[in-house]
Amino acid sequence: MKQFSLSNGKVITKPTSKIWLVLSIVSALVLGFILMLTLVSNMIITISFSNLGSLITRMFTYPNPLNPNLSFTVAEKWSRYFSYSKELIGPLFETLSMSLAGTVIGSVLAFPVAIFAAKNVFKTKYIYIPTRFLMNIIRTIPAIVLAIVAVQIFGGGPISGAISGTVAVSIFTFGIMAKMFYEVIETVDMGPFEALESSGASKMVAFKTAILPQVLPLFLSYLIYIFELNVRASTVLGYVGAGGIGTILFASLEEQRYEKIGMALIILFVVILVLQTISNRIRSKLQ
Amino acid sequence: MNHYEQKLKEKPKKWIINLVFTLGLFIVIGLSFRGSHINMNRFENVGITMRIFFTELTDINLQYLFGYGNYTFNESIFYLGIETVAIGFLGTLIGAILAIPVGFLSSESIGGKKGVKIGQTVLIVIRVFPEIILAIILLSGFGLNALTGILTIGIHSIGMIGKMYAEAIDNMDRSFIEALDAVGANTMQKIRWGIFPQIMADFTSIALYRFDINVRSATVLGVIGAGGIGTLMWTSMTFTDWPTLGGCLVALIVVVFIVDSISSKLRTKLV
Repeated sequence: MKQFSLSNGKVITKPTSKIWLVLSIVSALVLGFILMLTLVSNMIITISFSNLGSLITRMFTYPNPLNPNLSFTVAEKWSRYFSYSKELIGPLFETLSMSLAGTVIGSVLAFPVAIFAAKNVFKTKYIYIPTRFLMNIIRTIPAIVLAIVAVQIFGGGPISGAISGTVAVSIFTFGIMAKMFYEVIETVDMGPFEALESSGASKMVAFKTAILPQVLPLFLSYLIYIFELNVRASTVLGYVGAGGIGTILFASLEEQRYEKIGMALIILFVVILVLQTISNRIRSKLQ
Repeated sequence: MNHYEQKLKEKPKKWIINLVFTLGLFIVIGLSFRGSHINMNRFENVGITMRIFFTELTDINLQYLFGYGNYTFNESIFYLGIETVAIGFLGTLIGAILAIPVGFLSSESIGGKKGVKIGQTVLIVIRVFPEIILAIILLSGFGLNALTGILTIGIHSIGMIGKMYAEAIDNMDRSFIEALDAVGANTMQKIRWGIFPQIMADFTSIALYRFDINVRSATVLGVIGAGGIGTLMWTSMTFTDWPTLGGCLVALIVVVFIVDSISSKLRTKLV
């Protein structure tokens, strides 16, 4: 420990930096986790960059799997490669509509719950603590688990998969939205609310006239943000049979038609990029 | 007509635009349901299905869940849950370290105008790239094991962490850098003495926030075979082994809850 004696006779000790403590904890965790994964779980690592390279090439070329001897011109190959996009448009719209319906239903359900969870509207802790606990439990369940359960109840596959997907997305949205939203409600200016309450307005009327106008733009902004998030999250739901572009993705993974995955990647990339740009534009206007 | 009524009349009529917006939303939602068929046969039996499903789901083998009795600990579901946390942790660490140069490049105060353009493009591409497809690609090179999960999470985290790093760097107090400029420090010295002490807490908080998300996405990646609890979840689902799935759900909720509360507690201490 370093000590300094000042000119007036005082002795100051330099405070010990906590960075070494943090670093040692982090490195101990890293070592422990790596040892755990390699020794206890018997992780067998086989790194092959040639496989990786060949997969990427297969993703972006048309291989002609039916007749390898038949040769195509370059233009024909590309046109055939891009013709996969026709198969993908339908499932893509299913993904988009699943996420949109799920986002709106989940957010609308989350709205009243967020009011109950906000500390500044209902001041007794017997209301907001149980509500928050319930919300936290819902929020810990990953979307894929919700989808598994929803598929068991509503049925999966191409016929009713979209319904299960919508239910899963709504519950997932409900969890995030309720949390984000009660945090917003807690940060608003409480002056108008208190004034209305003191003049005899009921809680609901006071909320509607004093808090709602303050939070509505943020609510819409979160709605758009979560829609964007859900489009990304619901890609994976197809794997458990909940409809959307994920179904095609995993079917072609099983058939080893990697060129279809490549096409899906291009389409998803473009769609998410466009959505993100639009949502950023709208959100910056709303805030 | 008194003064107040007059003022009320002057209020802008918002209900028209609200009505149009709401109607539009409902029409779009209606359109989304258009193509999907609700299997009525299944809908009638929802009660019975749910009862059977949930009784089987809650019939958890506790020995398998906690790893005592007939099972050793490293066969138990809880061990797989910890493995998921390990994948999430190592992935986040890789992402957090790799994001530092990208974050510095794409912040305006360090990277300059050109750096911002390059850095932002890289970050957007990484963020938009679907995680599951990245996992599929890496799966072919690194095999069906935890390494694929770690690398996928690491690469995918760069996008968000880098963006938030850049914002944290841009939001900090610039006067320290100007002072260091004035005494003739070079870029590395400016980063070490001017920026590093200011942003360390922010960076840690960002990485912790992402760790929270990554534990969840490690589960999803497990489903395609990248180790952890997701793999067991997927196999138990394909073999309709509901008690095991119930065990997985319990383990997952407990693990995510613990990680969530630890990271949020640490973050409130940091900021």
